[in-house]
Amino acid sequence: MVTTVLEPSRHPLAKYVHRLEQGLPMLDNNDQNVMEVVGILKSYGIVLDAYSNNLNYVAESQFLNLFPFFKYFNGEVNAGKLGQFWWHKRINYEYAEYCMRSMFWHGGGGLDAYVDSPEFIAVAKQAIAARWKNNPLMLSLNKLFPDFLLEQTRQMAYYTGLGQFWRVMSDMFLALSDRYDAGEIKSTSDVTQHILAALVADAAKPITYKVELGGKTYHLIPESAGITFLMDTGVPYVEAIFFRGTPFPGTVSYNAQAAQIPPEKSTFTYGALYADPLPIGGSGIPPTLLMQDMRHYLPDYLQKYYDKTGRSEQDIRVKICQTFQKSMFCVTSAALMGLVPNPLDTDDFEAQQANRTFFESWMDRLIPSQITNVNQA
Amino acid sequence: MLSALIWLPLIGALIIAVIPPAENSQTPRNIALVSSFCVFGWGLWIAINYDVAIAGLQFAEHIPWVEWLGLNYDIAIDGLSLPLMVLNGLLTLVAIWISSKEIHRPRFYFALFLLLQASVNGAFLAQDVLLFFLFYEIEIIPLYFLIAIWGGKRRGYAAIKFLLYTAVSGILLLASFLGLTFLSGANTFAYTALQNTSLPMASQLLLLAGIVVGFGIKIPFLPFHTWLPDAHVEASTPVSVILAGVLLKLGTYGLLRFGLGLFPEAWSVVAPWLAIWAAISALYGASCAIAQTDMKKVVAYSSIAHMAFILLAAAAATPISLAAAEIQMISHGLISGLLFLLVGIVYKKTGSRDVNYLRGLLNPERGLPITGALMILGVMASAGLPGMAGFVAEFLIFRGSFIAYPIPTLLCLVGTGLTAVYFLLMINKVFFGRLTPELAAMDPVNWGDQFPAVVLVILLFIFGLQPQWMIRWSEADTAALITPTAQVELSLNSLQ
Repeated sequence: MVTTVLEPSRHPLAKYVHRLEQGLPMLDNNDQNVMEVVGILKSYGIVLDAYSNNLNYVAESQFLNLFPFFKYFNGEVNAGKLGQFWWHKRINYEYAEYCMRSMFWHGGGGLDAYVDSPEFIAVAKQAIAARWKNNPLMLSLNKLFPDFLLEQTRQMAYYTGLGQFWRVMSDMFLALSDRYDAGEIKSTSDVTQHILAALVADAAKPITYKVELGGKTYHLIPESAGITFLMDTGVPYVEAIFFRGTPFPGTVSYNAQAAQIPPEKSTFTYGALYADPLPIGGSGIPPTLLMQDMRHYLPDYLQKYYDKTGRSEQDIRVKICQTFQKSMFCVTSAALMGLVPNPLDTDDFEAQQANRTFFESWMDRLIPSQITNVNQA
Repeated sequence: MLSALIWLPLIGALIIAVIPPAENSQTPRNIALVSSFCVFGWGLWIAINYDVAIAGLQFAEHIPWVEWLGLNYDIAIDGLSLPLMVLNGLLTLVAIWISSKEIHRPRFYFALFLLLQASVNGAFLAQDVLLFFLFYEIEIIPLYFLIAIWGGKRRGYAAIKFLLYTAVSGILLLASFLGLTFLSGANTFAYTALQNTSLPMASQLLLLAGIVVGFGIKIPFLPFHTWLPDAHVEASTPVSVILAGVLLKLGTYGLLRFGLGLFPEAWSVVAPWLAIWAAISALYGASCAIAQTDMKKVVAYSSIAHMAFILLAAAAATPISLAAAEIQMISHGLISGLLFLLVGIVYKKTGSRDVNYLRGLLNPERGLPITGALMILGVMASAGLPGMAGFVAEFLIFRGSFIAYPIPTLLCLVGTGLTAVYFLLMINKVFFGRLTPELAAMDPVNWGDQFPAVVLVILLFIFGLQPQWMIRWSEADTAALITPTAQVELSLNSLQ
């Protein structure tokens, strides 16, 4: 007799496999989690808005500027802004660049493939020639080291790729907060469904990149390249930032010579879903910069909650990180539900099996993650 | 004038004793704070009015007491006792400040602390050896109770051990003082009168042996040291601060005042052996400190090692080494007080002093970052890093002693090098690494608890950068103690 009913998963994280199969997020559902997740995503949305604007500004207005001293000023350079910058009353745009470089390094997706394509290289070379047309020194250096400016141009493509991706995500998170304030979001499942719906709605949104040099427009990533929001920037972003990441001094040992770093970056587990919140609280590493930025935009209800737990303001970055990880498991849940090969409500046994295999393969990667801890907090 | 330093705390203790007991009352603590603050302030005022250019006793007070016995109330201050008196005032204030507001039997506790302060001040000020002995013995009583009542699980054992050791110390001192008076035919116990007596060398050596061993128990030196780690481990933090910061200095003070001061000729005979003893004690203390897993024991054995440096300096008895011995007393008082205070904070917050259990306490958000930073500074001072008081003291000790006893000095230098070893081992284990989940939920330290430590660290820097502010008080008086141990004519001015 052939079994047509799917047996319970025997995966170590079977609980979460079953939840995802039922269209539920990996994060436990309770009022506390909903409040924390929505609150942190609101502040994240505000910060992403700033990051997105700056990344797009750099890509468009600082194209191949080798000494972009004022790239974080978004074109508004004056004594007041300079004073604020030195006083550190500013957004840590360095974090956005860290994410961009991490995506660039880990690669994956259509954007990664396209920036190596002959089409991109051809347009990039034209743009480079236009950018330095009156600079024989740079043109000579470009001939001597032809890959340098080309690689810089690829990086510019990632600036804009991430900038456009975060534009969508920022709006999505702020809309989520508005819906929560309006009483429409009541569970972690509502959160995940909101994100999933937005991801699906914008999945095919084209990612494009053009620069204007000497009155001429160079379409580095034309719409015809077919680079889209979800598969070409969203998925590589999740892979690079949520899963792989990079080891930071102070969080994990990074002695590569002692084989403490995996030889293959595809097996890295230093991303947001794995990060240890305690060192992130204070070692000055990129994730800490994000926590520092978000703390300025916390909604009142979340700020009050942090004020009365733990050490109040003193350990707020640790608490923000813990909450942020909760929210990232909701986003990851939505992404997995969006990428699952078959509809979750399918009655077809083989389709269910394929979905099971898909979820279990992702759960394999999440075994060393913080999933258990966030559901105990 | 000086009497106020003895009688003010006694009056404070008396007031605390007679006020009616009330539940959760802060009155005893407040009275003790006010009293100790006044004593400290008065001590500072005396220091300001002290003429550093004059060697010898100042602010002398004489009240005839039991004249037929030759015992009088003779008190005065000189450059040897003045810094220690101020140190006692400061550390008593610190100890009372950090004492728990919820401590049980507060009236008895704070009254004992004030009694302890009065008796230690009395011992530093006494210019009559019998009066010194009386204060020296009185000081044992409050300390015994402070350990026995407010100590840890083995407080009874530690308190009795302390009592027995210090009682033997007292007996030896009394025997030497009586012997000196009777053998010399003097009819007084006045210090200055006894200084001018003459005795055969054999008698001097015998009497000096009693004094050296008596104070050696108090300081303590190997092999009389075993009471100290037990007392520190079982004592509460404020008591440890006073014990290490001030009470051990009674021993080194006594060694200089009554050993070197009363028996300079005999001292020069035994000095080479004392220097060897100092080296062995320093190396032994440092070696034991390396092996400890209890933070308090690490600091306690460190004290044994660092106090041995004072013996080395006293044995050398050169102008520089004697001035350095006094500076080391102050420096070690501040450093050991600071370290015990910080270990107490760690214990209060984590419930442990085990270096194999504690980890990652420097975590800035969930750990004890300020405490850890202060601890690192304290350790740096203890290891003798330039810019801090410990460097000045130890550098001068080694420079002043090397000419007289090069080998013991080099061995002591190894001992001070080992300071970095055992303290960095402790710091590395306790404060670095990842904060363990069990420790991540501890309460933060409030500023009130850390404030005294900050003050002590500031003082360590001030005296490290401007050592003359320490040296100037005692320079003239330590120079007066010089014996012909080493045929060296070094002037402190050569350092300037």
